[in-house]
Amino acid sequence: MNSNYCILLFCCLLNLSVAQKKNIESSEVPENLLENANSIVINQEIDILVKSQKSYTIKKYKKIKVLNKLGIKNIDALEYYDKSSKINSIKATVYDKSGLRIKRFEKKDFTDVSVADGFSVFTDNRVLYLNFTPSEFPFTIEYESEVENNNTAFIPYWMPIDDFYESVLQSKFSITYPTEMGFKFQEKNLSGYNITTTKTEKNCNYVAKELAAIKSEEYSPSFAKIVPKVVFGFDKFNLEGVDGLATSWKDFGNWMNSNLLLNTDDISEATKQKMVEIVGTTSDPIEKAKIIYNYVQNKVRYVSIQLGIGGWKPMNASDVDRLGYGDCKALSNYTKALLNAVNVPSYYTIIYGDSTKRDILNDFVSMQGNHAILTIPNQGKLYSLECTSQVTPFGFNGDFTDDRIALIIKPEGGEIIKTSDYNERNSKQIQTGSYSVDQEGNLKAQIKIQSTGVQYGDKYFLENAKPINVSDHYKSNLSEINNLKLDKINFINDKSNYQFTENLELSAINYATFSGTLIMFPINAFNRYSSVPQRYRNRTNIFEIERGFYDEDVIEINLPTGYVIDGKPENSSITNKFGEYRTTIKGISEFKINYKRQLLIKKGTFEKEEYEEFRKFLEQVVKLDNSKILLTKKV
Amino acid sequence: MKKTILFLLVIVQSNFAQIKHSLGKVTVEELEQKRHPIDSTAAAAILFKTGVTNFAYAGNKWEISTTVKYKIKIYKKEGLSLADFAIPYYSGSIGSEIVRFTDAYTYNLVDGKVEKTKLKSENQFREETNANWREKKISFPNVAVGSILEFSYVYLSPYITNLNEFKFQTSYPTDYVEYISYIPSYFAYRTFTTGYEKIETISEDINGIDYKEKKVTYSKNDMPAIVKEKFVDNIDNYTSILKLELASVKYPNREIENYSLDWEGVTKNIYENEDFGTELNKNGYYNDDLDLILKSAKEQKEKIDAIFSFVKTKVKWNEKRGIFCKDGVKKAYKDGVGNVAEINLMLVSMLRYAGIEANPVLVSTRENGLSIFPSRTAFDYVICGVENNNSTILLDATNKHTVANIIPERAINWVGRIIRRNNTSEEIDLTQKVISNNLYNAIFTVNANGSISGKIREQFSHFSAFEFRNKYGGLTKESYIENLEKRRSNIEISDLELSNMDNLENPMVQNYSFIIENGAEIIGNKLIFSPLLFYATKENPFKQENRKFPINFVYPFLDKYIVNITIPDGYEIESIPEQSAAIIEGEQVKLKYLIEKAGNKIQIVYRFEINSALISYDYYDDLKAIFNELIKKENEKIILKKV
Repeated sequence: MNSNYCILLFCCLLNLSVAQKKNIESSEVPENLLENANSIVINQEIDILVKSQKSYTIKKYKKIKVLNKLGIKNIDALEYYDKSSKINSIKATVYDKSGLRIKRFEKKDFTDVSVADGFSVFTDNRVLYLNFTPSEFPFTIEYESEVENNNTAFIPYWMPIDDFYESVLQSKFSITYPTEMGFKFQEKNLSGYNITTTKTEKNCNYVAKELAAIKSEEYSPSFAKIVPKVVFGFDKFNLEGVDGLATSWKDFGNWMNSNLLLNTDDISEATKQKMVEIVGTTSDPIEKAKIIYNYVQNKVRYVSIQLGIGGWKPMNASDVDRLGYGDCKALSNYTKALLNAVNVPSYYTIIYGDSTKRDILNDFVSMQGNHAILTIPNQGKLYSLECTSQVTPFGFNGDFTDDRIALIIKPEGGEIIKTSDYNERNSKQIQTGSYSVDQEGNLKAQIKIQSTGVQYGDKYFLENAKPINVSDHYKSNLSEINNLKLDKINFINDKSNYQFTENLELSAINYATFSGTLIMFPINAFNRYSSVPQRYRNRTNIFEIERGFYDEDVIEINLPTGYVIDGKPENSSITNKFGEYRTTIKGISEFKINYKRQLLIKKGTFEKEEYEEFRKFLEQVVKLDNSKILLTKKV
Repeated sequence: MKKTILFLLVIVQSNFAQIKHSLGKVTVEELEQKRHPIDSTAAAAILFKTGVTNFAYAGNKWEISTTVKYKIKIYKKEGLSLADFAIPYYSGSIGSEIVRFTDAYTYNLVDGKVEKTKLKSENQFREETNANWREKKISFPNVAVGSILEFSYVYLSPYITNLNEFKFQTSYPTDYVEYISYIPSYFAYRTFTTGYEKIETISEDINGIDYKEKKVTYSKNDMPAIVKEKFVDNIDNYTSILKLELASVKYPNREIENYSLDWEGVTKNIYENEDFGTELNKNGYYNDDLDLILKSAKEQKEKIDAIFSFVKTKVKWNEKRGIFCKDGVKKAYKDGVGNVAEINLMLVSMLRYAGIEANPVLVSTRENGLSIFPSRTAFDYVICGVENNNSTILLDATNKHTVANIIPERAINWVGRIIRRNNTSEEIDLTQKVISNNLYNAIFTVNANGSISGKIREQFSHFSAFEFRNKYGGLTKESYIENLEKRRSNIEISDLELSNMDNLENPMVQNYSFIIENGAEIIGNKLIFSPLLFYATKENPFKQENRKFPINFVYPFLDKYIVNITIPDGYEIESIPEQSAAIIEGEQVKLKYLIEKAGNKIQIVYRFEINSALISYDYYDDLKAIFNELIKKENEKIILKKV
């Protein structure tokens, strides 16, 4: 009886939605939604029904009109699944431009593959996806799916526009849940869009209408930072069969401690003893930690294994000790166990690892992050250890984990921290040295380059690189010097100060150009800024300089004998909100000149109206960096 | 019983040959070694790799078993990636292949002693990549710099037509590599080894109980690492790899079954395959449509053009390669989607229907490597050829911008094979012969404030036009202008006109006006600018000291620039670049730079031509030198002086 009732109700709902869909089909797509669009989402409906802490169902319906080849990737007719989720149904129907149905895909027509994307990734996650080649554009595709999932720790977020060059006519989202689970949500960037919301005690709905396509532009912040987005979560959740609590970071951390981390730091007495031995008489905790970290870097390698709860719970430290490999969680946890053996406290740390900065949402307590590192607190300072790398220096973040919000798991619970920011004055490249140009126009130079901060992170790989890769690095970095020959290269990697020094001796024939009795060459030989940002007639997005830096070059230039200076660049100085640029030429004599250049780029987020000024600034820098000195033969 | 004897025989022989290269003999010296004795930069080395292939008859079918043994030494951290190893294998209609790892150990030096750690089942993983492919993976435990890794695996396969290739060379040096194949006399395999390294080969006949076998031993000491370079079609073409192809099967008292002994056999065999010949001969599905479009076409060329563009608009390529149809031509025609075989066999069929002598041309794509010997399996792509007197028109309908004899880069890989209805076949040169003309006409004025403004006309023919259409065909005008401004070093463009985007027979043409704010540099009373503007090439692509592989430019081309410059009033010419001409031996690459001045005008006519798509590495030094001259000329400046 009960179930019959359910079926009846279900049919009614279905009819209702079909009727609505027809309605939308007949309505015209407004002109402004066609602009910059490769695809138009005609209608999307996502319904999430959270039945209990251990189960939710997500139903998706999406009707998308694909206008050209580039829009194909927005169809998103795919579902991931694993041991704790199940695809109940999945299907798609394709219509040609006149609305005629041309193809139907049932579940069996979808392709089933493993999501492993390269070697050394072991996972039981799979994906069922639609492999479809359209024969003409535009076409429309209707996609429907229903997936059941046990992991209420991860509720899909709602992002009605989910890619550049995609517009949306209508997108609806609804989530229904038991009240006792402690529902929460966080909205970002909703204002300025036609988005309405209704909320009750058990349910939360959004409707978005007529969202125009967004163009991808240089220096745009990452897509997810500029579009409407709502994230959802529960205070009480389930992860791979384990009940969890996320009322505060403290509670969440405690839950992690007692469910995911407990007893995973089980190293043998022998290993503990070995750690004590290698540390010896060292007493300073940081010095001890450096020894242990060095031991780990020489012992283990990164192998990603994500099976079931293993996607969130680190492999036991004793297994890492035995096998010599593990993923980021396993290696961080292992290092923590070894540090424990020598009485250095450290905290398992959850973070988003990416060269594009992404924060843990600190005001939204939930399972987050895609990477694990280790944090050592010492006298008010926090040291980050990247345990998956065999070469990263102790405490160095690099652009994978720098300057962002992370979660550390202390014995007494979770706590939010911020990782090191190497910006501007801390990410320096200081170049000193001299070069000479002889009467044949050949260049000979001796330079010393010292890099710190994020610029250190760009360089230190050179120390272990193959000679051919080292030579490629310089040939591409100094690509404007043709016939470049590296006569001598010496590197000093000062890991404790994160400073990398390159001592170079190099030469190049035909550096200068001859023109009648004149000889000329760019005065700035080794550090020319070359990329002017794209010009946009109508810039549409705000822009961001994600990381700043500072470069300083102090170079002595020895002139060829028998020539006098005919012309030289003027000194220059530009200061604005984006940075500073300054060049000076001093100490001019018959034989030499001294050239000094400073370039500071500041990090920041700016309005779209300021973009042209920024572009002009860099255009000016590129031009001035190419300034030439002109010499004429003495008569 | 018989099988056991055969096995014993094999074991005795392989033991004899492999005493030096057997597993389990790791020494302290080997573990202590800090760098490779020959290639000191190597991050790791393969101390030996040996492989043995045997055939066995059991349960009414043949099975091929290949046992491979590896011994690897890690010298640097970058070499640790060798500690994770994967083998993909196939599961299909006649059964699944099997991969089994055995004897896998990590060896380390601990307190001066050799310590070994076994690779256990917890270090092994199996993955179902998709419906037909599986992968076995292993991760060695306890690996550090200095470790030695040893393992062996057995690969069992019921697919006797696909005997796996054997790689002698990798990106790491290999001290010793050996491969032995024992092949029953019933089977004839054709073999070929790619690469430049000499592999020693010994062949002998062995008498077994049931049948004779041919034993072939391939070996090489001190195989160097293979290093990638630019302008290489596919590095595997130059890597030492043994390829084997089933040519024929001859059982006692039975007719010989030819698979690919000669080209005639290959042709016949491919035509007899129902996913090829049968599909090719179907024609009922398109007759009505074709009659309609052929109505107005009288001449052969008109017919070809009409059918070619019909197929291109009717059926889109699903990016799948192969010489056989998958869902069939009829379905492809109906759905408007097909793989390369479905599309181009349909094209051949339609042309034949219209009375044109069209035939399939088998091709091995660049990614697939070279097709060297008569073989069915060496090809992974098929196009259409129309033979006409002494020339062949090549057609590929998988891309909407192709025209006769312009085929996509993926299909241009040395030679293809045209296979005719009468089972004859012939090699077809796929190299692009026609020179693509890239013409640049610029008329501009240099202004006293340093700005440069003018008009440009650019024209691209043949393959250049094809590439242009593929790259920019889908862009809106606004994005195209933004793209062009970026490519031309941030100039400001107006009045852009693009012609012939869809008119494939004609060259692509674009006209635009431009202004460059800081086009000329002002130093004191002088104005300095580059007469070739943004066209100047900044970087010589040839940076390495020497080269071992041919240089592959895909297609021959001519860049011709005609530049007319007006200088501002109140300025005179102080200096201009000199004339120049250069040519390499064999005249495959030529450069000519002419410059003239008259009053306040300067004209430059500059040509750079590469008239052969492929240039032998013998000319590498010359080529590098002429590119240096090109960089020099293109970057030379004109200096103006205030009067």
